Amino acid sequence: MSKRGMIRYNRQETRAAWLLLLPSVIGLICITYLPMLASFALSLFSWNGLGEMKFIGLDNYIRLFTNDSKFYGSLLTTLEYAGISVLGSIVYSMIIALLLNRKVPARGFFRAVFYLPYVLPALAVYLGWKWLYDFNHGFFNYVIKLAGGTSVKFLDSSALVTPSLSLIAVWLSGNLIVIFLAGLQNVPRTYHEAAEIDGANSWQRFWKITIPCMTPIIFYNLLMSLVSNLQVITPALSLTKGGPGTGSYFMCYMLYTQAFKSHKYGYGSAISVILFVLIAIFTGILFSTSGSWIFYEGDDRE
Amino acid sequence: MNMKKLLAVVLCLAMLLPVIALGEGDGRVHITYSFWGNQTEAESVQAALDAYNASQDKVFVEPMQIPNEQYTETLVNYAIANQLPDCGMVNENAVLYFSRNGVMADVSDMFAGEELQPMDCITFKDAGVPVGYSSSNEILILYYNKDMFDAANEPYPSADTPYTWDEFVAVARRLTFDENGKHPDEEGFDPGKIVQYGAFVNNWTWQMEVWALSNGGAWFSEDGNEVLINSPEAIESIQKVADLALVEHVAPLNVIPEDNGIGVGIGSGTVAMTTDGTWRLGTDFPNLGINYGIAPLPAMKEEVTICTSGLTGVFKGAHQQEAYDFVKWYTREESNWEALVLTGIWMPKSEYYYKTEEGINAWLGNEAYPFKDLETGKKVLVDYTMNNAKSACWYFTPNTQITTNEILFTALQSVWSGERTAEDVINEIYPELVEAIVVD
Repeated sequence: MSKRGMIRYNRQETRAAWLLLLPSVIGLICITYLPMLASFALSLFSWNGLGEMKFIGLDNYIRLFTNDSKFYGSLLTTLEYAGISVLGSIVYSMIIALLLNRKVPARGFFRAVFYLPYVLPALAVYLGWKWLYDFNHGFFNYVIKLAGGTSVKFLDSSALVTPSLSLIAVWLSGNLIVIFLAGLQNVPRTYHEAAEIDGANSWQRFWKITIPCMTPIIFYNLLMSLVSNLQVITPALSLTKGGPGTGSYFMCYMLYTQAFKSHKYGYGSAISVILFVLIAIFTGILFSTSGSWIFYEGDDRE
Repeated sequence: MNMKKLLAVVLCLAMLLPVIALGEGDGRVHITYSFWGNQTEAESVQAALDAYNASQDKVFVEPMQIPNEQYTETLVNYAIANQLPDCGMVNENAVLYFSRNGVMADVSDMFAGEELQPMDCITFKDAGVPVGYSSSNEILILYYNKDMFDAANEPYPSADTPYTWDEFVAVARRLTFDENGKHPDEEGFDPGKIVQYGAFVNNWTWQMEVWALSNGGAWFSEDGNEVLINSPEAIESIQKVADLALVEHVAPLNVIPEDNGIGVGIGSGTVAMTTDGTWRLGTDFPNLGINYGIAPLPAMKEEVTICTSGLTGVFKGAHQQEAYDFVKWYTREESNWEALVLTGIWMPKSEYYYKTEEGINAWLGNEAYPFKDLETGKKVLVDYTMNNAKSACWYFTPNTQITTNEILFTALQSVWSGERTAEDVINEIYPELVEAIVVD
């Protein structure tokens, strides 16, 4: 093919690529980016959905930070939930993945067992846990009472509700286990063998070989887990309705009730913008520190 | 033409078929009626629509079912897109919100000059002007498990004279016992091991308003302009209900209330008395298999109950008149007589059915009616409505979708859990409530 023909061919190919990409680009713009811009714009208005829209500048934001008894509670609850859930699920999934990576009998079966919660319908999972946690007739309290203890308010006290819900999130983290497992299988055996010959025990090998080789996977899991846990809403919708107090009044739940239940669309949008910024900040921190603790194979740094 | 092309053409034609079939080629005006409800309710709605559609040949009404949880927000979305149905059920807490924002048609003359007048109690008013009528009437009453009363040798609650609050608590104490058979006022009683509770007062937020009225207070002023929930009477009423579980140990804890009063209370089989709405006579009790009785609510200071029921609204639009005529027909007791009134789900909305012997017997005395004790029914359902029922706050207070449904709902959970007092919580949220009822 002549050079000119090659260029024409390339141009045709580019055109075809754009044509094929068009639906997803249009989709992305129309269902993601435009609504994002719209909700930012909406956050500068007071609007009840049916009446006139009134431009009020930054009033919604000022109100949130100075005159809303629930906003800081909501913020703290969200951070607490995300913190416990992210750390809990990373540690838990890592341990399970390490166990499943060994040559245990019926390994495939156990992998399925730990992955299963992740594919169950969320509502069914939460309703099941509701029964486990229930104060009057719940299974956990039944066991506690059998053992001679007094009933625990798992979901009915503002102190315990966040950890209780985080526990469900940890239990649900089967997807992280699968990703960790894949990562573990990529840790080169040669490193382990060399270390073994040098006399390193299994604990040393875990810290010096497995963990460093896994850091890119840990980073990925940390990021995904953080973003999804900061956006938590399902447990509040299906189990606790935000309470007690602001114990489960997550930011996503707050923006949902403010916008769609109280019909304060501008106010709800302002919360969504703050949540967006919050997630951006955490993601930024994670990325900016990643260079110092992530080990890439073939990288020369110590 | 090869086989593939032929197949393609045939499939394309097949896709067009439903479009042709759905065409409104019958010369009628098609209008849409929106509602929430389960499958049974959907069937009864369809039956009513079929009857209307068969009764004339000008208008054809089509149902639009929307899940209860997202009902109002879905309607708002339709309104924003200018796609509202022509008429439909409206949640009580959204009636003034819709009417004030100019979405609903004026129906204040719907029953002018008619023989059957809807009761004042279930008339939605904006600054005193009627804006709509509920499709039925429901009040809050006390349900009790007769077998549990018999087992404790306790006389049934009277249908004439309600318990005072102290009597109510005392009876509840006698009906509460732990696994050793000890009552809450006995030594050695273990509140962690209660086997049967005496009472459950439904703390689903809007139902709590009745206790403020009962204690001589109110949540809002009758013109809907003032928040009165910070009065000592209103605050005390909330605390008294919370204390049933927290201090008296006669009620199960229900920190996160849902519309689950029957399930937490009498329906669980471990609670002797429960307060809830009269629609439960039709929706729950026929399936519970409990030997139950009904009585007026206990009275703190006043003998009072609240009445409420959803509204069937007419939305402004091109087919407003057709929708108006349909709603007028649809909300007559007659149109839903068998499906909703005689099943015990709706109590009638017109005074005739409460004030005349003939009217009362038509529903309460009907063989099909699920509650069989006519004399008790007359006292607890009819006289109690006529003499003691006040409109729930959303009949006259704007923005209850914010105040009762959001602010109070969330805040009161800390009271139900015993972490904070009602006084503390109400005083904290009072400014938010005051701000919330101001109309945009």
